[in-house]
Amino acid sequence: MTTTQDQSSTNSGAASSEAAEKRTVRFRIQRCLGPNKPAHWEAFDVPILAGEGANVISCLQYIARRPITADGKETDPVVWDSGCLEEVCGACTMIVNGQVRQSCSCLIDNEAPNDGDVISLQPMSKFPVVRDLWVDRQRMFHNLKRAHAWTPIDGLHDRGAGPQETAKNQETRYIFSTCMTCGCCLEACPQFLLVDEPAKWDESFVGANTIGQVRLFNLHPTAKEEAGERLEVLMGPGGVSDCGNAQNCVKVCPKEIPLTEGIAAMGRATTVKAVKQFFTGE
Amino acid sequence: MPEHTTIDHDVIVIGAGGAGLRAAIEAAHSGVSVGLICKSLLGKAHTVMAEGGVAASLANVDNRDNWRVHFADTMRGGQYLNNWRMAELHAKEAPDRVNELESWGAVFDRTSEGKILQRNFGGHKYPRLAHVGDRTGLEMIRTLQDHAIHQGIDVHMEVTVVTLLRDGDRVCGALAYDRERGRFRVFRAGAVVLATGGIGKAFRITSNSWEYTGDGHALAYNAGAELRDMEFVQFHPTGMVWPPSVAGILVTEGVRGEGGILRNSEGQRFMFDDIPDLYKDQTADNEEEGWRYVQGDKNAKRPPELLTRDHVARCIVREIREGRGSPHGGVFLDIAWLKEKLSNAEEHIKRKLPSMYHQFKELANIDITKEPMEVGPTTHYVMGGIRVDGDTQMSTAPGLFAAGECAGGLHGANRLGGNSLSDLIVFGKRAGEHAAIFAKEKGRGAINDAYVTDEIKRALSPFDRPTGGESAHQVQHDLQLMMQKNVGIVRTESEMAHAIDALAQLRERAARCITPGNREYNPGWHTAIDLGNLLTVAEAIARSAIERTESRGAHFREDKPDKDPAWGDRNLIISKGADGAMQIRQEPIPKLPDELGSIIEEMK
Repeated sequence: MTTTQDQSSTNSGAASSEAAEKRTVRFRIQRCLGPNKPAHWEAFDVPILAGEGANVISCLQYIARRPITADGKETDPVVWDSGCLEEVCGACTMIVNGQVRQSCSCLIDNEAPNDGDVISLQPMSKFPVVRDLWVDRQRMFHNLKRAHAWTPIDGLHDRGAGPQETAKNQETRYIFSTCMTCGCCLEACPQFLLVDEPAKWDESFVGANTIGQVRLFNLHPTAKEEAGERLEVLMGPGGVSDCGNAQNCVKVCPKEIPLTEGIAAMGRATTVKAVKQFFTGE
Repeated sequence: MPEHTTIDHDVIVIGAGGAGLRAAIEAAHSGVSVGLICKSLLGKAHTVMAEGGVAASLANVDNRDNWRVHFADTMRGGQYLNNWRMAELHAKEAPDRVNELESWGAVFDRTSEGKILQRNFGGHKYPRLAHVGDRTGLEMIRTLQDHAIHQGIDVHMEVTVVTLLRDGDRVCGALAYDRERGRFRVFRAGAVVLATGGIGKAFRITSNSWEYTGDGHALAYNAGAELRDMEFVQFHPTGMVWPPSVAGILVTEGVRGEGGILRNSEGQRFMFDDIPDLYKDQTADNEEEGWRYVQGDKNAKRPPELLTRDHVARCIVREIREGRGSPHGGVFLDIAWLKEKLSNAEEHIKRKLPSMYHQFKELANIDITKEPMEVGPTTHYVMGGIRVDGDTQMSTAPGLFAAGECAGGLHGANRLGGNSLSDLIVFGKRAGEHAAIFAKEKGRGAINDAYVTDEIKRALSPFDRPTGGESAHQVQHDLQLMMQKNVGIVRTESEMAHAIDALAQLRERAARCITPGNREYNPGWHTAIDLGNLLTVAEAIARSAIERTESRGAHFREDKPDKDPAWGDRNLIISKGADGAMQIRQEPIPKLPDELGSIIEEMK
């Protein structure tokens, strides 16, 4: 959670090229003071210099330094989450003008090119709000655990020089390994719903990112030993059959991971496993 | 006593980047209960931003590589001020740790035979960096995170540690608060591992994330542990300089490893102008040979763009100062020129440097396959840190361990690229292992309740001050500007002396800072607490930099521009005096064992 970790001076009036054109962009931000508290909207005006590369986070930093609403009222600084500011960590996911995305890579010159343009910011709706734009994403880790997205190898395992892996296998795994647990695919998914009670997480849909991680691990030279256990989870309640094939996940993934392909592959694998179990009883 | 909860663990690990996760995993493996404390969300620590790769002499690409060469390269890069035992262990164990990471599910780029591919990097004699594109850090953190969450480790996210707790000299816990509500927690433990990373936020232009406020350095210092080599701050030669909202963000050395070249405004490859003696025999004589090197020709020597980071950064500063800089105050880094050499250059660049392509496209609207980037130096890494024992990673305060960037010694006066990710996993493992042993042997220490009470009061003091004071944020901002100007990449005695005075004033201002509101979700308060740590590390850096009256590695003094052999055999040690004032002393480097000495001689 952060609000004042300013890196930038974009909006602090630092002089730049004389030709830079100044405009004002209005931010409408959905505020919420804590879990289960009512949400309300507040507006803030932020001065922008064209061509200086301002992004949503640098504007939030401006607002944090000067938490005064567009109608001149002092208010609490807006709270949000961010980390790397270069779209590799996945912390700053939020809904920008109705679209879930990383806010650090949302350039104001693209999103709001004209004077008076409005940008709305909302927290993701599929996770409990902690405050303002900051949500609690514990459930993503829970789901990774649920699907055994790891390999139980300890220090005693003799690894030798490590397994060899074909370039083709590596390429398939590579793209799934770019997942940064940002939550965009879950926000966009009609089947993945807000579940406040952790006790009910195990029956709810695991979501595209976790299925992608199962694909990643099941192709791994050593982790594929436990492939069956992971498929078992995906065959159970909240597993791969809960996918409604809306294909929203793949459209919003900032890393362009072929999530639907992952779901299809895991769907096939669970079917094969079910058929095999039917005939062999194993 | 003020309200707080108490949580018991055998080992607590502070920081959940690569080193912290690896330490926590190792401690959990040995059967003790582990608490992992982090300031942000799990998996978003600064390690995620590492790009180029992890250095390990796997010898998959060049079979002449082995631990001895890696050791010699690390020592040469560190100008022989390194803790040689750490350099030895690091070179010997890095291949094992990389293979282990792979067996835990990490994806690496492959050679045509299906082995882990390795790339060239500055200061490494052979292609040594195992990597996955240019997002190796994400791969490391994702793999370690996936592994760690299955170990029964208690993860305490969004929690800041205020001070370490001691029983006599021994460190046996930490006082912390959750950033969400501001509620205090006392962690009681048998041993504490610090893995908090670096200090980049002490400077204005930095590649580091907001979490890098020197917390571990300051926590250790205040708990009686010594710091070493604090004058050595690495300024990475290539950070983004434009647009301003992303100034400082790293441009990986991998760009140069893949053939990227540096040019000034006159189009000249200025890195050929100044090649240090220590590297003359290893550097290409001409552009054609440099190109052959990045193409994998084993008989070619590396291009001067791949000299050590300190040197490349200074050459860039020289070009900018002498009026040959780019429009926004940097120089040009060009990878688009590969189209002169490769027919599929565009695809090749996107494949090899996907994050860089994405980063410039998304954050700056620049297509690096078509136009050059503008880059300049950015505060990147601190070689100095908590002084530790090479084998166990225990600091000079019993029960307190440190690993990763907050520990000092491995890198000496300058770190080679790729040696930080390997540092995390080699010494993260060692710290976790030995912290668990220590905790099992000694059990938990006693907590001094009076101290806890005082420290909670101190932490809350910004709320109690009279109105009218400034915000901590303003003081932090001024500190960053002051350090950037006076203790930055090119240093002089007078500027640094000014910095010491300025720090005293900033400290006074910090003591009067106010934070309106209450403890819940109060970022102003968090900044006030971080600020204390930043002031401590800034002072340690400035005092050490004044004391070392020479230029060596990352420490460059315009008033003492040469290396002084008299300084080549000693480290600077910082500690907190009985009166609370910072003490600094010189300490001779222990003599190198003959076996290691002969490796260095042989590889010279």
